[in-house]
Amino acid sequence: MAALEGVAAAPGLGIGSVMIITDPSLDYEPRTVEDASAEKERLRRAIDAFSDLTREKAAVVRERVGDAEAAILEGHILMITDPYMVAEMEGLIDAGQCAEAALEQICEMFATMFEAADDDLTRQRAADVRDIKSGVLCQLLGVREVDVSCVPQGTVLVTHDLVPSMTAGLDRENVVGIVTETGGMTSHSAILARALEIPAVLAVPGAVTSLVEGATVVVDGTEGVVLADPDEEALSQARGRREQYLREKEALQRFVGKKTVTADGCQVELFGNIGSLEDARAVVANDGEGVGLFRTEFLFMDGGAMPTEEEQFRAYQQAALIMKGRPVIIRTLDIGGDKDIPYLGLEKEENPFLGFRAIRYCLAREDVFRTQLRALLRASAYGDVRIMVPLVTGVEELRQVRALIRRYAEEFDREGVACNKDVPVGVMIETPAAALTADILAREADFFSIGTNDLTGYTMAVDRGNDRVRYLYSTFHPAVLRSIRSVIAAGLDAGIPVGMCGEAAADPSLIPLWISFGLTEYSVSPASILATRATIAKWSAADADALARTVMEAATPSEVHKLLRGGVR
Amino acid sequence: MVSQTITLTNGSGLHMRPAGVLAQAMAPFASNVTIVADGKEVNAKSLMAIVASGIKCGTEIEVRCEGDDEQAALDAAIGLIESGLGE
Repeated sequence: MAALEGVAAAPGLGIGSVMIITDPSLDYEPRTVEDASAEKERLRRAIDAFSDLTREKAAVVRERVGDAEAAILEGHILMITDPYMVAEMEGLIDAGQCAEAALEQICEMFATMFEAADDDLTRQRAADVRDIKSGVLCQLLGVREVDVSCVPQGTVLVTHDLVPSMTAGLDRENVVGIVTETGGMTSHSAILARALEIPAVLAVPGAVTSLVEGATVVVDGTEGVVLADPDEEALSQARGRREQYLREKEALQRFVGKKTVTADGCQVELFGNIGSLEDARAVVANDGEGVGLFRTEFLFMDGGAMPTEEEQFRAYQQAALIMKGRPVIIRTLDIGGDKDIPYLGLEKEENPFLGFRAIRYCLAREDVFRTQLRALLRASAYGDVRIMVPLVTGVEELRQVRALIRRYAEEFDREGVACNKDVPVGVMIETPAAALTADILAREADFFSIGTNDLTGYTMAVDRGNDRVRYLYSTFHPAVLRSIRSVIAAGLDAGIPVGMCGEAAADPSLIPLWISFGLTEYSVSPASILATRATIAKWSAADADALARTVMEAATPSEVHKLLRGGVR
Repeated sequence: MVSQTITLTNGSGLHMRPAGVLAQAMAPFASNVTIVADGKEVNAKSLMAIVASGIKCGTEIEVRCEGDDEQAALDAAIGLIESGLGE
């Protein structure tokens, strides 16, 4: 029995048999061709078949994942049908080469040319050319591409990487677990696994070679562990935990369709955090009351080029339509820090978290910001869209954003394009500067949303990624809790809603504090929505206040933690 | 043959998307359409060739058209490049 560790990407416990998905062999014996015109016809048919298949996949991916992912696949069709490229291949066939060899040589020639380019974007296209080559080779050789749409019951998929084209038709009934060698919490594989509610452990090194086809494994997507070859005891323990997990999940179903209220009947809002349209559907499936944080970075990270106004508009509009009139808080581009997008050409900085990022970048790059704000304004005609500005440090930034929005709304007015010119604009509170001036910001902001992850980092002056100092990173620190308390108080004094969209909003030990402070909106991952509603229902304001009083007297994070742990319901 | 010189202004240079827009728009013309930049000659009807050329924003390029509908092809190409190639 061996335990393989990875990233806990989608919660739950799956027990099943390993099915290893590897790329099929595309070896062939090069031949000399006599009948060049027949061979060229063979190549054309293979390209047509590949294009048809890719078009079908793109349609499925557009429906289930989003436009940006579908556009990548459609780009593949444009590339392989390039007349110049096809002519080059046909030239080689005329010279006596077989279609496979002609395809391979020309694709490799372009891939090598792309790789030699001096910009990242063109270099990344080399991988696309090689993907296309494999796809057309599959057609020429009659090899079926990996198909996971029909697998036996109780299958655990084990693969190097779960790519969108592979997951488009994933059999959600029979796949009980997913294990990959690459990817992380925010990868396509993770987003899909969570949306399909299939337990997944990602980034397990050597999973494909160390797991055995057909063997029984336990995929613990909550803890991020894969148990290979479990003994009888481990297996029965896993079954017990699986049943308990399912029972708890089932018990939460009684909160579906209910309002989110405290034990003494005080209602709050419970929203979901999303990073894709698939996530938005998961919010609806889990009975979320809106979207409290839409991270728009995925639109910018996937495509390899700046998404156009039209592409952004479609994504925001779809999110608004999926939420059917419920609030959708969309955060403007939050890049920089640890999130780099090669084509934006951000320079390496000494202190990226204190540097040119988020709203600072957007205000300096009006061309980029204009595209996004115009897309957001257009989408505001299709639902309750609200705009949230990240990394604000002062009221001037908010004023600048408002001035831009006003200008673009006037442009639309002249052009006769529908938009909500009074679209609410809120501030994400994540810097100590914003927290300490929350009363000033509250005079001009339409809402606050506390980003506890960055607020903790900046308040504690700690880089979470640095092993030497990570121990200092704690939302339980009195400094962070006092900061949050005063932000909420400032917002409530000014009569604006105050939400929270960091991980702390779903922490059952912290929820009584938020109730006591008067938080009006909780935004959590879609999978945590019902559990958060259940926790909120257990606390009355009086009980929460009593606990908060002792907790706020505590001197250290560990004292706070101990008191809150003792209070968990 | 007709030709015109123009500076490329769209943000990210001639990458996949703008290259695709240009190649698709040039395909219906009978004329040969060539982009000359940094001494390289690139077939403007080929997405792959345009991408491989790695022409960047701010580069001065010459568009050459030769054939029966050369003036129409040139006007179409210049119009598209001026409008930012769909970006």
